[in-house]
Amino acid sequence: MIELRNIVKRFQQNEVLQGVNLTVGDGEVCVLLGPSGGGKSTLLRTINGLESFDSGTIRIDDVTLGAESGAARDCALLRIRQVVGMVFQQFHLFPHKTVLENVIEAPIHVLRQPREAAIQQAEELLRRVGMLEKAAFRPGALSGGQQQRVAIARTLAMKPKAILFDEPTSALDPRSTAEVISIMTDLASSGQQMIVVTHAMAFARTVADRVHILHAGKIAESGSPEQVFENPQEAITREFLSEFRHGN
Amino acid sequence: MQKLWDCVGTCQPARTAGKVSLKVIVVLVFAAFLVWPHTTQADDSLERIQQRGTLIWGADQEGGGPFVYPDPNNPTQLIGFEVELANLIAEHLGVTARFAQGQWDKLPDLLDRGDIDIVLNGYEWSHDRANRYGTSIPYYIYELQLLGRKTDTSLQSWDDLLKPKEGRNRRVSVLGGAAAQDYIERFSSDKIDIALFEGVTDAMEAVELGLSGIDANLQDLPIWMFYADGFPQLHPIGPPVGRGYYVALTRKSDTDLLKAANHVILQTLQDGRLRRIFQKYRIWNETQAMRGLETNSSGAFTGGISIPVSDNQKGTPEGTEDYQKSGGWQVIRQRGGLLVKSAGMTVLLSVTAMPLAVLIGLLIALTRLYGASYFRIMATIYIELVRGTPLVLQLYLIYFLLPKLLNSIIPGLGSGIDAFSAAVAGLAINYSAYEAEIYRGGIQAIPKGQMEAALSLGMSRGLALRRVIIPQATRLVLPPMTNDFIALFKDTAVCSVITVVELSKQYYIQARSADAIVELGLLTALLYLAMSYPLSMLTYQMEKRLNNERPA
Repeated sequence: MIELRNIVKRFQQNEVLQGVNLTVGDGEVCVLLGPSGGGKSTLLRTINGLESFDSGTIRIDDVTLGAESGAARDCALLRIRQVVGMVFQQFHLFPHKTVLENVIEAPIHVLRQPREAAIQQAEELLRRVGMLEKAAFRPGALSGGQQQRVAIARTLAMKPKAILFDEPTSALDPRSTAEVISIMTDLASSGQQMIVVTHAMAFARTVADRVHILHAGKIAESGSPEQVFENPQEAITREFLSEFRHGN
Repeated sequence: MQKLWDCVGTCQPARTAGKVSLKVIVVLVFAAFLVWPHTTQADDSLERIQQRGTLIWGADQEGGGPFVYPDPNNPTQLIGFEVELANLIAEHLGVTARFAQGQWDKLPDLLDRGDIDIVLNGYEWSHDRANRYGTSIPYYIYELQLLGRKTDTSLQSWDDLLKPKEGRNRRVSVLGGAAAQDYIERFSSDKIDIALFEGVTDAMEAVELGLSGIDANLQDLPIWMFYADGFPQLHPIGPPVGRGYYVALTRKSDTDLLKAANHVILQTLQDGRLRRIFQKYRIWNETQAMRGLETNSSGAFTGGISIPVSDNQKGTPEGTEDYQKSGGWQVIRQRGGLLVKSAGMTVLLSVTAMPLAVLIGLLIALTRLYGASYFRIMATIYIELVRGTPLVLQLYLIYFLLPKLLNSIIPGLGSGIDAFSAAVAGLAINYSAYEAEIYRGGIQAIPKGQMEAALSLGMSRGLALRRVIIPQATRLVLPPMTNDFIALFKDTAVCSVITVVELSKQYYIQARSADAIVELGLLTALLYLAMSYPLSMLTYQMEKRLNNERPA
């Protein structure tokens, strides 16, 4: 269970998160939608501490993350990051390491897994994302879609309880997007808890358990995909969805 | 040879503006040490020397003949009248003499450090020196000789020196900081221009060639007597002037050693041994005989002046050491080996200092980027302090002043700092400031997402730095750092101020004593190039490899 309570974040005068509440149950797929600048990515990044926040609490199982910086927060963050993985828009693979080394890095140095076990697991994960034959390549030699698949494998290697996806397909061409979406769909059907910021409407519609529309730092509307897409209650949701249909 | 280096007191025009500030800083730090409590220990100087079995005496080979210089026939051996004097004193003490190389103006500092027992290197007596050190009775009475070109008929006397030539002042070359400089400045400060030189033969050469309008050289008489044959175009002008004394220096507390040195000097003056040494190096003259100390075996004064030695200025009795302009390419065969050996020291210094500099630099860079604000300020101060002061000063402080400081805290603590470690430490510290800034730039050039990706995988900041950020930054900084490595490699030359003889110091020593400035200079340049070129190639290789590993 991931629980966000009253998350407030300000950039100087500008309140980019205005008291957001969000609950994501175990095994649930939660999709955050909304116009650019609505605070989706910022909200996602507060969950694993890449962004600080000014008030509110985040609870992940028995770990509570508060707004006050200090040793307690650092300690909570380390625990959260070991159970919450993240996939970035720009992949952020380690360019000085091969694909395989990227995937075994954290299991060996964070989880202290034996090297052989980590390699065996990494090879399984790379096969799952269709990247095993590129195991010895460096990221620089891969296409964007291939890099993102490796990045997902790298995250999975930590056996995360939840994965945060921050616009994972926004930097990809349609074909690569389809490959990555299909991997994410597989993950969802295997019961992986996920929080996804995306503009991939089809994914939101077919895979998400719950959809939240974020606008101007607040959650404007929440519901199942059917509710939000077929019968939006809020004007802002309708506006966003119609713009999106026309735009795409 | 009689440079006047007096840390405190004298006000001489220094050679360059840079040296003024260096001196001022050194004097200030020195003054701080004077307030420190000094422990005076009982004089056990002779016991120490006899227990050790060696008398360690200091001089600078670069000064050359007739004082201390590499034997032209066997450049690994030293000869010179001071070498023989050192042997006489050691023999008297029942020990062997061991030579210790030091930069001439730093020899008294080596006494202070305790590295050497005695200085024998044309140090003239002065009040300041007698106040700070034990000064022996003079073993040689020097005078200054004005030299000019034989062809220059307009310059025949000291008075001619004051007459302008072609509407400008006469130019006289002198050894910078030497008694000759002092003398000529007092003779006339406004009618004569002074050109300062670092080497005695260079100053004479300049007159012979008439370089930059130099007409005359004021030289130590013994040096002129030794080198006269090598400069056939030069002739002495007027009588010798500015008489003074070459004395041995000891630590003030080593009175027994000083007395022993006095005893040897007196005895060898009396029995004629010192005269024979001076004759061998062609520096005996009537001034020495004026002391009237020589007796025959039955103890009778033999009338020193009447001893037929005055002709020795030109005659060459058997066994005389003669100055030969050996020059030529056979010098390379003879002395190249010594240069190659010293190149080894250059390499050793660089390959030890550079990794340390990089390591310290990395730690400083990390402190500056990620440290608590207090440490961040400290790191910034460290960088500015180290970058803003010259390497030569840092080496001096580490080698000469740090041991004093350490000893004042725990006696004996400072004696662990030998010249090589001090040189490595100085180079490493100096370069660490530059490497820190390079590393800081390299780390900042790594995209923010790399750190975020590492953190989101559960890594601590330290682990992320170690496994992700620093390895990538290192690839970025390798080319500029290799550049710095080449620079450091050449900066090792500065280490000669703290007695380390590396390639360039060895070059000065050999080139000055063999008069093969061009031949050995080319070889030295070639050696430097042969060592730095592979480094440059390595840089190119690394840059090429780096391009393949750039973030996509």
